[in-house]
Amino acid sequence: MNDTMINEGSTATALRDNAGVAEALGRSYSAGFVTQIEMTGLPPGLDEGTIRALSAVKREPEWMTEWRLEAYRHWLTMPKPDWAKLNIDPIDYQAISYYAAPKKQPKSLDEVDPALLETYEKLGVPLHERAALAGVAVDAVFDSVSVGTTFRKQLADAGVLFCSMSEAIREYPELVQKYLGSVVPTGDNFFAALNSAVFSDGSFVFIPKGVRCPMELSTYFRINAQNTGQFERTLIVAEEGAHVSYLEGCTAPKRDENQLHAAVVELVALEGAQIKYSTVQNWYPGDENGVGGIYNFVTKRGDCRGDDSKISWTQVETGSAITWKYPSVVLRGDRSVGEFYSVALTHHFQQADTGTKMIHLGKFTKSKIVSKGISAGRSSNSYRGLVKMEKGAEGARNYTQCDSLLIGKQCGAHTFPYMEVKNPTAIVEHEATTSKISDEQMFYCRSRGIGEEDAVSMIVDGFCKQVFRELPMEFAVEAKKLLEVSLEGAVG
Amino acid sequence: MNQPASLPLAESLLAAPLPAGGPAWLDAARREHRAAFAAGGLPDTRIEAWKYTALRGLAQRRFADGDAAAAARGVDVAAFALPGVEGPRLVFVNGVFRADLSALEALPAGVSLQPLSQALRGDAEPLRFALSRPALVGHGREAGDAFAQINAARAADGVVLRVAAHAKSIAPVRLVFVGAAADAELAWHARNVIELGEGAELDLVEQHVSLGEQAQLATLVSDIELGDHARLRHVVVQDAAAGANLIRRSGLRLHARAQATLHVLELGGALVRHDLRAELVGDGAQFHTRGVFMPHGRQHIDTQLAIRHQALDTTSSSHWRGVAGDRARGVFRGAIVVAPGADGSDANLSNKNLLLSPAAEIDTKPELEIYADEVKAAHGATVGQLDERSLFYLRSRGIPLGEARALLTAAFCRAMLDDLPNAVLREHLSGLLIAQLPA
Amino acid sequence: MLKIENLHARVEGKEILKGLSLTVNAGEVHAIMGPNGAGKSTLGNVLSGREGYEVTAGTVTYNGIDLLALEPEARAAAGVFLAFQYPVEIPGVNNTYFLRAALNAQRKRRGEKELDSMQFLKLVREKLKVMQISDELLHRAVNEGFSGGEKKRNEIFQMAVLEPQLAILDETDSGLDIDALKQVAQGVNTLRSPDRAFLMITHYQRLLDYVVPDFVHVLAGGRIVESGDKSLALKLEQHGYAGIGESRPAGAVA
Repeated sequence: MNDTMINEGSTATALRDNAGVAEALGRSYSAGFVTQIEMTGLPPGLDEGTIRALSAVKREPEWMTEWRLEAYRHWLTMPKPDWAKLNIDPIDYQAISYYAAPKKQPKSLDEVDPALLETYEKLGVPLHERAALAGVAVDAVFDSVSVGTTFRKQLADAGVLFCSMSEAIREYPELVQKYLGSVVPTGDNFFAALNSAVFSDGSFVFIPKGVRCPMELSTYFRINAQNTGQFERTLIVAEEGAHVSYLEGCTAPKRDENQLHAAVVELVALEGAQIKYSTVQNWYPGDENGVGGIYNFVTKRGDCRGDDSKISWTQVETGSAITWKYPSVVLRGDRSVGEFYSVALTHHFQQADTGTKMIHLGKFTKSKIVSKGISAGRSSNSYRGLVKMEKGAEGARNYTQCDSLLIGKQCGAHTFPYMEVKNPTAIVEHEATTSKISDEQMFYCRSRGIGEEDAVSMIVDGFCKQVFRELPMEFAVEAKKLLEVSLEGAVG
Repeated sequence: MNQPASLPLAESLLAAPLPAGGPAWLDAARREHRAAFAAGGLPDTRIEAWKYTALRGLAQRRFADGDAAAAARGVDVAAFALPGVEGPRLVFVNGVFRADLSALEALPAGVSLQPLSQALRGDAEPLRFALSRPALVGHGREAGDAFAQINAARAADGVVLRVAAHAKSIAPVRLVFVGAAADAELAWHARNVIELGEGAELDLVEQHVSLGEQAQLATLVSDIELGDHARLRHVVVQDAAAGANLIRRSGLRLHARAQATLHVLELGGALVRHDLRAELVGDGAQFHTRGVFMPHGRQHIDTQLAIRHQALDTTSSSHWRGVAGDRARGVFRGAIVVAPGADGSDANLSNKNLLLSPAAEIDTKPELEIYADEVKAAHGATVGQLDERSLFYLRSRGIPLGEARALLTAAFCRAMLDDLPNAVLREHLSGLLIAQLPA
Repeated sequence: MLKIENLHARVEGKEILKGLSLTVNAGEVHAIMGPNGAGKSTLGNVLSGREGYEVTAGTVTYNGIDLLALEPEARAAAGVFLAFQYPVEIPGVNNTYFLRAALNAQRKRRGEKELDSMQFLKLVREKLKVMQISDELLHRAVNEGFSGGEKKRNEIFQMAVLEPQLAILDETDSGLDIDALKQVAQGVNTLRSPDRAFLMITHYQRLLDYVVPDFVHVLAGGRIVESGDKSLALKLEQHGYAGIGESRPAGAVA
């Protein structure tokens, strides 16, 4: 158990046939290794006993256990979702283990199992503070638990609370009770209800009034154990005038079975607060035949509760077999601003159904949506969005731009925007285009000596520029690389 | 999940005996469609295609089946006079053909036009294929197709119009559907079958008008098939009275290089729903629509446009404008599907809307579903107000604000008629649009 | 005719005009020149009453009335005309129809008799001839699909029909080739008269070769920093805007 090991099963045969191809395949999902570490957890299955056990393992107060049970009971009454555009094998909720954690629970980062540290290092997220990413505080979540949070002292000095959700429930119960479920109610949708019942860990961020968070905050989610679902819960609260930028990254090993990831993220921005939430989602997408991969069913919602507040979502979605997520903003405060910038890339048999909801309630609220979908292989990529101007949304504005890029003849690119307008002073604008990389563009690049794959990634990168610009620098570089890797083999 | 068939509306539509005395296959088909309607019930807002059109109010009403006295109702031809449109016409009152109001003398060679009731008395076999299904396009098997089913079960009259290969109708053929007040609130149904042979050309004007404000429910299903190289120019003017609930479904199928151009004006009615579907099944087929919907008062006007590109080098362009005032609601869905292999497809859709009142609502949903990569596809939708710069420009030239607004709103709608070749008709329709605007 | 005193105006919270003063008498042609961002277009927009331009101080008196208190259409009826730098396209509104609606609205407001379509057409034909503009322009929608030159000529044509007392030309020369510039200038010259005044806002001197101004003002930093006759324009052409106004007190009145 002294090291991590690359799972080479799928590349072994190819290696014998063609070293070049094998290299490409091996590279195609570099996060697909398994960490060998002693684990503890709950056996598969879900009932009230499971939830009580989970709550007990986590030493949660009674009110939390009750909150979970209530959500569970509600979940039992809800119909399983059925989406026209997604091909989903039925999920067996009794076959999933709802809690998996490394056996050794460290008290501080210094005690974290070296195998874990190495895992994160390999993923490009070193946790040792001397090696850590400059100016980025990281909370690392491994399967069901947080294994460590960096830069805690510096953050505490600034008054910022950044810790795992489990810890927050124990240490800051009033804050958690006040805000948890206040944006995404337990019964909001099927997966949000399930998450509320069984969520294991996640990050908690609280920026007090007037504080600008001195560094980027980041959570790195890693699914490792087999047959485990990951149900994290993130809550970010920015009080009056507070600013925070938060990043999340996700990976999982290559496995033949589908694994479920059903997270809930809640953001609360009080008056004048700003929250910027960036995601680079690179869960295992399944192989080129559509075997395995993560089911990524996530509920993300921000509440611009105060006047002049702003919530901005930026996402780069390249992973998962199936993605279903609509990071949304409720624009409650007057003059509040919601933004959604998205790049979703699907290849092979991936299916992505993603978009946003902008619910305008306050006066002179503004929202902007920029969505870039890239479909390759036999994948299916849908934008689904809602812009709603309620009666009180005096002078509110929305601008939406959705562009799809098709690479190959067997993929699908779809756009389903809903616009509901009840205020005659509001303005909603939506534009969408679908195109492919033109032969002329390709020829032009190639005649200048640029290889086919480089030309494609160059054009795709250009296509996504508007969104990449919104990402923090290090993430933008990573996102660009990720697209390149995800697109390998898409042309030719 | 549909609402149960036990609702008053469904009950009343199921109550009366089905039309009988047709060919055996037709009677059997009617029974089958009625059974399908009884089993499925009415669509509710959980069905995607009915998301923004709730039948709650309508579902609680009962309508008497058909109008036994339709043949004798006094109808003034002036009620449906249409400047710029002279020529053959078929007129239906409460769904029943009225020979005395129609004009069938001037039919050009190769054009056959007769009411369905008459066609069924002769050799009905050519209609067997069409009438065995609730609708040509989409086959009426989708969730929420209840009205196509009840239409297929109940419609005893309508239009059968055939244009032989290479025949051209010079004067437009006019189809007039009059809803006339009767002793009871009526439901009536009409089924139209229109076929253009290879290279045929047809100008068609479809009119919906009312006599009296009485509540009615009418369902109309039209199948329109265009052979290779056929051309259709079709103008639809829906100006029914405020009591009329009109549920229409028009399905077009276009074969190779066929071209259809539709101009649709939705002005009247209480609850108005139009499912307009086109399948471009032949290479090089072209489908163009221009439409305006202007609900006011408490009107609810819902247009569901769905275009399927299924062949090479097919083109569609769709430009629709909506203006909603008072407490009205305008709903538009414009769905474009480019099927696998339909390379060279060029699809463009835009829907622009103006909201004139704080109690009005517009819901719009353009959709693109693309399964081929050699494609040009784009759509756009807006909901908002008149352009501030244009308003200022007009005011800076001395035109008062109210007048400037009216002028720009009228222009906003009238733009959809710009490419209508019949200038007299265009002016008349412009007048109808302006009359619909708030003073 | 027009007296602007200590005018301060803001756009989107930013102060653009900072105490501009200017007097224009009937029959005069004034040229306002200045570098980009000096506030030239803001002046035109404030005078014609565009929304979004907030006057924070100062007065504008036009023929003895407070111009700033009037709605845009009332200013038009009072004889103020702005030839736009970027005339907006209005699809679906016919040019002739638009112009007649504008003229009659103005006449009505002034208590004059409205023109019927025959009278109007006669007037338009006259003006077309004088302006040397083809009547094809009348049948199109307002500015729709017009080239840059056509749009500017259409503005001048509208001015000819509406016969304002005070015409403000906002960079009417920009984007025109030399032939189009001559045509526009000729149109303006035709309309010069003892009871009409012009305010020509321009960046370049070249328009002034064709429409010779009585006064030239330099607008910089939101104020008139120098005034003179047409020789000032030539001086600017040679030396540029750098250094202008440093030798004289700001706020000079012509």
